[in-house]
Amino acid sequence: MTDTSPPPPEQQASGMLAQMGPPEDSKDTGRVATLIGRFAPWLAAIGRLTRHQVRFTLLLIGAGWGTLRESLRPNSWRRPVIYEFRATLRQVIGGGFLSIVVTATLAGLMVVSQAAYWLGYAGMAQMTGSILVSVLVREIAPILVGIILMGRSGMLSLTEIGMMVLGGEVRGLQARGIDPFLALVMPRTFAFTVGGFTLGMIFAVVSLLMGFVVAHASGAITSSVWTFFFNVLVAMTTWDYLIIPLKFVLVGFFVGLGACISGLTVSSNDTMATIMPRGFARGIMLVLVVNILFMLDF
Amino acid sequence: MAANAPLLELRDAVPSFEESGLMPAPYNLRIMPGECAVIDCRDFERAAMFADLCTGMIPLTQGSIRFMGLDWSTLYDRQLNALRGRIGRISRHGSWLSLFGTHLNIMLPHLYHTTDPFDHVVRRATELGHTFGFPGLPVTAPDRLSGADLARAACVRAFMGRPDLLILEDISDMLPEETVLPFFETMTAARDRGCGVLWFVRSSAAWHEYRKAVNIHMRLLDEGLFSLRVV
Repeated sequence: MTDTSPPPPEQQASGMLAQMGPPEDSKDTGRVATLIGRFAPWLAAIGRLTRHQVRFTLLLIGAGWGTLRESLRPNSWRRPVIYEFRATLRQVIGGGFLSIVVTATLAGLMVVSQAAYWLGYAGMAQMTGSILVSVLVREIAPILVGIILMGRSGMLSLTEIGMMVLGGEVRGLQARGIDPFLALVMPRTFAFTVGGFTLGMIFAVVSLLMGFVVAHASGAITSSVWTFFFNVLVAMTTWDYLIIPLKFVLVGFFVGLGACISGLTVSSNDTMATIMPRGFARGIMLVLVVNILFMLDF
Repeated sequence: MAANAPLLELRDAVPSFEESGLMPAPYNLRIMPGECAVIDCRDFERAAMFADLCTGMIPLTQGSIRFMGLDWSTLYDRQLNALRGRIGRISRHGSWLSLFGTHLNIMLPHLYHTTDPFDHVVRRATELGHTFGFPGLPVTAPDRLSGADLARAACVRAFMGRPDLLILEDISDMLPEETVLPFFETMTAARDRGCGVLWFVRSSAAWHEYRKAVNIHMRLLDEGLFSLRVV
């Protein structure tokens, strides 16, 4: 029986280069080829690692663009897609509502009352509105909303889709001509986007309101609730009116998209024990990246 | 599609072994409209893979597969999906989504591929449900249904929406006795209007009563697809 195993990379590379080069340079060429051959496995390993690390980022960019493009086609919003959008939206908002209210209350108690107390103590009570807008509504709220979205709904989507891939249901959908991207990824991503905005607005209002109630009760704020909210609104710049909703929208979009794509790209070697931690880490990373990107520019 | 053109034609189609696990042998099969091809295959997974091959889900290294005159390999995603929407399929595994009730699972392909009014789709599904022994449409999750009810639901889904080709994996072990006759009748009615049938069976008992109406009989083995004489 003859041995048909391929030659080692060094021999392959030197053989190829020896064939390409002129006969008189074969000695030098052979030396270069041996050198390249020696480093080739290292280069390959670095390349593999790099591609593996940026794979999810590239997938996310491609899928994000695909989601936006497909959503503009009326033909994409077929009845099962709309049904999936509604079901996910109900789950995202219904499932996250209570968590958002509780978290917003706690955040409001901490931030609003502390800000009102210390700013009043420092004689800068007129800055309460702008501090609250920039700290609570613009910076803390999108991060907390993103984490709650991911924990309450993102992980659920990730698990559902991941299990569907492993169980062969996604292949079953394809066999019936139903595009999993249209039927699962696009509606869920948009449901997360709308959900992110809705929950973010609820968070902002509840946290400010609860903070006011506590600060008012403790005597740190003496104005009426209308004056308090008027001060907050006056402290907001034109950019804030754009950036704050945009942050909520983008956090929702990327948490949803990241969860769906992570679920859709599981391999046959994956189990719940590998899917969940990976999805969680990616989700946290996406929430922070969206917020940090805005922090850099604005 | 030309008048006398085959509905499904595999011409020396060699599937990619890496993608399918099917032996890279040339497969040849030709089903005309209204014909019924029975394929003996003892291995469920191999039958499912071959069914996937016929629906253009497995890349070929050689040859071609045409459905309704269109080569799967030349179509874009949207065209592929639209064409697959013309196929009614019974699968043994991975065909029920636990996200939805069974009624939505049954109607999902039809709602996705057509713009038929919802009430019309429900009515048609309910009629077919009655044919296969359901009192109505089952609304519980598929994982709560018995094997027999899932087999009934699979039949309802496959025959929904006047498919042009039926690809039926063998569920004869799950299908209740009283449903076998309606199954044959519905299949015959579909064939009468030009629908082709590709029917995978594990044993002759599954299609024995229907053998006179079968046009093609083949056996799917590791080595490829082999013709057998229809008795």
